[in-house]
Amino acid sequence: MRRIASDPDFRAGFAEMVPACVAMVPFGLVCGVGAAAAGASVWGAIGLSAIVFSGAAQILAVQLLAAGAPLAVIVLTCFVAGLRFVIYSAAMAPYLRPLPARWQQGLAFLLTDQAFAASVRRFDAGADPHAGGRHFLGGGFALWMFWQATNVAGYFLGNLIPPSWSLDFAVPLCFIALVAPHFRTSPTIAAAVAAGVAVIALSGLPMKLNLIVAGVTGIVVGTLADFARERWTAR
Amino acid sequence: MDGALKLWAVVAIVGLLNYVSRLSFIALFARRHVPPLLVRAFRYVPAAMLTALVLPMIVGAPGAVGFAPAPKIVAATLAGIVAFFTRSTLKTLGAGMLALWALQAASGSMG
Repeated sequence: MRRIASDPDFRAGFAEMVPACVAMVPFGLVCGVGAAAAGASVWGAIGLSAIVFSGAAQILAVQLLAAGAPLAVIVLTCFVAGLRFVIYSAAMAPYLRPLPARWQQGLAFLLTDQAFAASVRRFDAGADPHAGGRHFLGGGFALWMFWQATNVAGYFLGNLIPPSWSLDFAVPLCFIALVAPHFRTSPTIAAAVAAGVAVIALSGLPMKLNLIVAGVTGIVVGTLADFARERWTAR
Repeated sequence: MDGALKLWAVVAIVGLLNYVSRLSFIALFARRHVPPLLVRAFRYVPAAMLTALVLPMIVGAPGAVGFAPAPKIVAATLAGIVAFFTRSTLKTLGAGMLALWALQAASGSMG
C-alpha cells in the first residue's frame, strides 16, 4: 500500500482527479441528504455510497425507498440507470487487457463516469498500460474517498445548507457535464431527443418507470438513426 | 419489509449489479464474441440514459406545481453549452450554479 501511494503514476492520477472531486462535492452532499431523508441509518448511508458508489443509482434508490416502491422496482431502475457502466467497461477493456486479472477486478469497482472520462483521455495519449492502471487507481481512489466524505457530511450537515442555495441543482449539472459533450453526431442527438421526449411524456407513470422506458426508447432510436445514417452515406 | 433490511437489500443487490456492469467487458473482452448490433446499440446508452435522468430534474412533470421553472431551464442550457465546449465538470457546475443564482436574484428583486 505504501509502495503504491508513493508511485508517481498513482499520485498523478490522484492529483488530476481533484478538480472533478471538488465538482462532485455538492452532488455527494445531496446524496447524503437524500439518504437521511429516506430514513437510512448512518451505516446504511455509508453502505450505499461505499458499495453502490454511483450518485445516479443512490439518488434513485433513496427517492424510491422514501416513496415505498417495491424492492424489484428499485433494483431494476438502478440497474438500468447503471447500464452505462457496461459501455464504459467495453471502452476500457482494451486498455486494461494487459493487466493481471486482480487489477482488472479491482479497477472495475472504481469505474465511474468521472474516472472513465479521465482515464480514456490518459490512455488515448498512449500511456503504457501498467502506468495507466496505476493512474486509474489513483484517480478512482481519490474519487471514492471524496465521495464517502461528502456523503457522510451531507447526511449529518445537510439540514444546515440553506434551500435558497438550490444545491439540488448541482445534480443535473453534473450529468449535463457528462452528456453534453456527446452531442456531436446526429444519432446521438436523436437518442437524447427521443429519450427526453419519452421521459417527460410518460412522467405520469408510477415509480419512475418512465426512466426505463425512455432510456430504452432513446437507445433504439439512436441505433436506428445510426443504421439510417450508414445507409445514407453508403449511397 | 422492514425499512433497514430493505435498504441493505438495495445496497447488496444494486451494488452487485453495478459491479457486474462495471466488470462485464473488462472480464469478458476477447474471450467472447460481442454481437455487432449490441456494440452499436451500446454507443447510445449514455446519451439516452443521462438525458432521461437529467431532464425531469430540470423541467419537472407537466401539470405539476412549478412546472418549467424558467431559471433552471436557462441555467441548464447555458451549462450544457459550457459542457459541450469545455468538457469540464467543474466549469459546467460553476456556470450553471452562477446562472441560476443570478436569475433567481433578478426575479426576486423584480417581483
